[in-house]
Amino acid sequence: MTSTLDLERRGAAGSASQRALRPGASFLSGLSWRRSFNGIGLILPLGLLALWQTATSLQWIQPVFLPSPLATAGAFWKMLTKQNLHLDFLSSISIVAQAFVYGSLAAVGLGIAAGLSRKVEQFFGPTFDTIRHIPGIAWLPLIVLWLGIGAPAKILVIAKSVFFPVFLNTLSGIRNVEKRYVELGEVLTLTRWQLVRRVLVPSAVPSIMVSLRYSAGLAWALVVVAEGLSGLEGIGFLIFRAQGLLLTDQLVVCMVIIGFVGFAIDRTMYALQRRVLRWKQGFDG
Amino acid sequence: MTQRGSLDIRKVSKNYEVDGRPLKVLSDINLHVGPGEFISIVGPSGCGKSTILRLILGLDTGYEGDILLDGTRIAGTSLDRGIVFQDHRLLPWLTLEQNVSLALENAPLPAAEKRRTVAQHIALVGLQGFETVFPHQLSGGMAQRGAIARGLAVRPRILLLDEPLGALDALTRLRLQEELLRIWKAEGVTMILVTHDVDEALYLSDRVVVMNSGPGRIVGEVAVDLPTPRVRTSPAFASLKQRVLSLMGEYELEVA
Ligand SMILES: Nc1ncnc2c1ncn2[C@@H]1O[C@H](COP(=O)(O)OP(=O)(O)OP(=O)(O)O)[C@@H](O)[C@H]1O
Ligand SMILES: [Mg+2]
Repeated sequence: MTSTLDLERRGAAGSASQRALRPGASFLSGLSWRRSFNGIGLILPLGLLALWQTATSLQWIQPVFLPSPLATAGAFWKMLTKQNLHLDFLSSISIVAQAFVYGSLAAVGLGIAAGLSRKVEQFFGPTFDTIRHIPGIAWLPLIVLWLGIGAPAKILVIAKSVFFPVFLNTLSGIRNVEKRYVELGEVLTLTRWQLVRRVLVPSAVPSIMVSLRYSAGLAWALVVVAEGLSGLEGIGFLIFRAQGLLLTDQLVVCMVIIGFVGFAIDRTMYALQRRVLRWKQGFDG
Repeated sequence: MTQRGSLDIRKVSKNYEVDGRPLKVLSDINLHVGPGEFISIVGPSGCGKSTILRLILGLDTGYEGDILLDGTRIAGTSLDRGIVFQDHRLLPWLTLEQNVSLALENAPLPAAEKRRTVAQHIALVGLQGFETVFPHQLSGGMAQRGAIARGLAVRPRILLLDEPLGALDALTRLRLQEELLRIWKAEGVTMILVTHDVDEALYLSDRVVVMNSGPGRIVGEVAVDLPTPRVRTSPAFASLKQRVLSLMGEYELEVA
């Protein structure tokens, strides 16, 4: 991954003077950045909001089971101004960010190593394939016994869940490199390391990016569960506490926040994916 | 013993395994290419032209017979032997410029010299202005020209060209034929060109080697002893063309 970025940078530096005449490049960069926001995608959420409003104002559902949108907005304001909602939010985000970074760095590193060497793959294979099948959440109770109910236990468990999809995709990305490109590397007498950096890793980047996008979303979903199961802060904690106290409006606030943050994470990863893969023809997410 | 850039292919046969059974792709190929000679290989699709080039490159060592470069049996690839592949084979994640530079990665040149060589070869194939463009943004012919730039940039002793001008329009084709001739003369590189265009073969090369398939073999050779620059419309050119075509077994079809 880094190597592709390195190459980009080198290329950009080498050709700065020729920036002015790049017939193809400017044309394409304009083309690939459209499509993020579109009016049609707003129709359904607005419709659901209207339905929600109608259901509550016509008393189809009692407020204790579903508060009105307005009441929910009020609860949001109250949580933000009186209950330090932003601190819980930041604690969740920080856990997810750390878990994602650690998990995916380890996964890309080991995935490349295993992709390059059957020995490494065979060494880790049986262990990983077993651990992989024990869900992160099933690890949590034990890890909490070791590390306590604070952030480290959750980071570890979520990092584990991020690790496997990225690891497997990195491995298969490396293995699925087109043979003709490896042959080209041979013809150009690239060393092993040059081949890894210039051919094998870049060719694995598309599948790595897909798994990163997937596991970023997964990590965010898992933090809610992990915080609900242990600990005394975070969005996940708030949502389960709200249920216990029958504070349905706060519960819905948390749900909406989770949804929006998940949406933002996904769109960010998508934009990143497009940026990194702009060499790829017809790439459409 | 021999001069630099001479190639000897001796009794080379090659089988591919297809569905568990051996498929004879090349049978008893013998070919000598002198240093600085320009030869063309013509023959029907599937007769093993690309396969011979793969063997010369050292990409495939599973064959019978010997391939000697300057008297030594080739083992593996080397920057002495360059190729322009039939598919352009530019790496999709590198810009044109980076693709050409990659060929020079292990060339013993100072960095500034490498940059100059890259720019020079991109200009040579008429792609200046497209340095920072990715291969998927190039047309087929432009990508092919990029591949030619990459193949030439290394300045190999033997350059293998696998239908390098196939995807180009007539004018660009003629221009690049002139460029190939110019480079060949200027650098004294040994050239082996695979082409389906008999005129092109006769215009460029000292000798045209004709192959046929089932299994792939050399059926004949035509020495092109015409003065340069050659005139494609001259009677001598036409009679050589008839000889090549008749070796290919197409002459009868052509005149009928
Ligand atoms: N990897 C492979 N495995 C099995 N058979 C192969 C393989 N590569 C090539 N062949 C066979 O070898 C024969 C020669 O192929 P080759 O690519 O050398 O033909 P060619 O003369 O270059 O044809 P063209 O003009 O169409 O490029 C073909 O019959 C092809 O089916
Ligand atoms: Mg071929």
